[in-house]
Amino acid sequence: MRSQFWGLYVREILRTFRNPFVLLITVVQPFMWLAFFGSGFGGFSSLLAPVLGTSNYIEFLLPGVLSTSMLSVGMFGSMSTIQDKRFGFMKRILITPTSKGLVFLAKAFGSATRGLVQIPVMIAAATAFGVPFDLTPLEWAVWVLALLFIAVGFSSMFLAITASSTDWQTPGVVANFITMPLMFSSAALYPSSSFPEWMKVISTYNPISYSATFGRNLLLHGTIDWTLLGYMFVFAAAMSTIGWFVSSRWFRVE
Amino acid sequence: MNGALKVEDGAIVVTDLSKRYGSGARAVMALDHVTLSIPKGTVFGLLGPNGAGKTTLIKVLTGISDITSGHATVAGFDVERQSMDVRSRIGWVAAEVILDDDFTAWENLWLQAKLQDLRGWEERADQLLTYFELKDRKNDKVSHYSTGMRKKLEIALALLHQPVVIFMDEPTIGLDVGTRRMLWDIVTGIHKEFGVTVLLTTHYIEEADALCDRIAIIDLGKIIVEGTPSELKARVKGDIVQLEASGTLDSAMLRALPGVQEVRAQGNDWMIRVASSETFLPRLLATIPGDRIRRINVEKPSLETVFLDLTGRRIGQEEPMRDIRKFYMQMARSRR
Repeated sequence: MRSQFWGLYVREILRTFRNPFVLLITVVQPFMWLAFFGSGFGGFSSLLAPVLGTSNYIEFLLPGVLSTSMLSVGMFGSMSTIQDKRFGFMKRILITPTSKGLVFLAKAFGSATRGLVQIPVMIAAATAFGVPFDLTPLEWAVWVLALLFIAVGFSSMFLAITASSTDWQTPGVVANFITMPLMFSSAALYPSSSFPEWMKVISTYNPISYSATFGRNLLLHGTIDWTLLGYMFVFAAAMSTIGWFVSSRWFRVE
Repeated sequence: MNGALKVEDGAIVVTDLSKRYGSGARAVMALDHVTLSIPKGTVFGLLGPNGAGKTTLIKVLTGISDITSGHATVAGFDVERQSMDVRSRIGWVAAEVILDDDFTAWENLWLQAKLQDLRGWEERADQLLTYFELKDRKNDKVSHYSTGMRKKLEIALALLHQPVVIFMDEPTIGLDVGTRRMLWDIVTGIHKEFGVTVLLTTHYIEEADALCDRIAIIDLGKIIVEGTPSELKARVKGDIVQLEASGTLDSAMLRALPGVQEVRAQGNDWMIRVASSETFLPRLLATIPGDRIRRINVEKPSLETVFLDLTGRRIGQEEPMRDIRKFYMQMARSRR
């Protein structure tokens, strides 16, 4: 089982690095948020400083954008799965002693890992925008771990939703349907303290809020919120279990 | 038929297997109570027209599709209950070549070894690359390979884990004549060299005839006959004469001609089975005025005539046109 997972996981990673275009899109998308949204909205930073907790909006935004960009990696995972189905490669994989659940797991972790590639690029960009980083190695490690949990959780969610699909268009449609509400109902772009009550409820249970708040606590206050990290672990574990179950049962091969 | 083969002696044993797609009025029986035994070490051909159920049978036997009813074992393991055991003992060669184009030949072999959970596979992989004359190109991306080389690599992948059975689904479809000949040699070669059982599907009669020790002819989800190519050809006694008449012909008169065994008609198309076409044709032309006949075609016993004899159709021909209006509509459409 380990051998099959490793083979498929490495395949995902290698394929990403041999396809510079996918890599570029993965990295450019969150960078644009930071550059355009961050710079545009950042003009109000001085007014909002008491609410944001910092006078640099990019510093506030970075943990949020990193969290939402983990949401979009799921779409690439689904797209590569559907590509494998359409080109018959999924049959090549499944006519070996490899279970559908394992194929799912390798895809979920593969696309999550691809998502992590964005972190160093974003950190470098944020540094250029004047964000100071004085984190300890432990703080860096838990931040990456938190983002990995979120990425695994969302990739699993995407793969579970698109498990029975073989249509090229599905991942895009699902992404549009999921990304916007999850992003805007979280604390990724602005603080949730001023939300109306009903939106606060959604935001509280939205994993993107956990990740954004967790990153902000680290970056602005230098504190590690272990409870939030625990929530994110539970989210990743629950989504990958559901994804495993759904894929084993409803995964369509072609 | 050789249905009495024991599970442990047969590479593939299929018993009363059915596969239905869809449900209710729109259900399609892709496999209809198929029973089949394939002894170890044979090259077995599944011959039939498009849509006959050949690919469905491969999907069911490789565990890609589930079974509606019946039972099948491959390499002594139950296809449904021991799927993983089956899948570690089979190789699969697709109709269209399926490889990871971003990878080199060696990386494709590496992935296959991981998926089959093999250790110490490198030596075997090297041998296979040497056998298929790909060794000096092993570090090239397979997207730079020719079709023939890709096909060879795909067969090498299927052989890497020393399988008991290799499934080849329409292995030569869409290939040029030269590559097809090369593939025929490979199939015969790997069978001798590696002792593997091969189940191949094809709708090319000459392919089945040239490669297979045994053949089952499948049509509309049913196995209609099975045997060695010479056994099958011996079933058809006499030649088949096909006539296209320009008007009506008297069937009683045709039957009365010496050597005629059977007469069938569909509109103006006649199929007459005769003991010998050489003696029949002069008599026919002496009896019927030449302007009443538009076309004559004679066929000597072959796998094509076996199929024609059993189904009334040719392998490359679609189902008989039941509705004449549909026929004219199709004709009109094709002229546009």
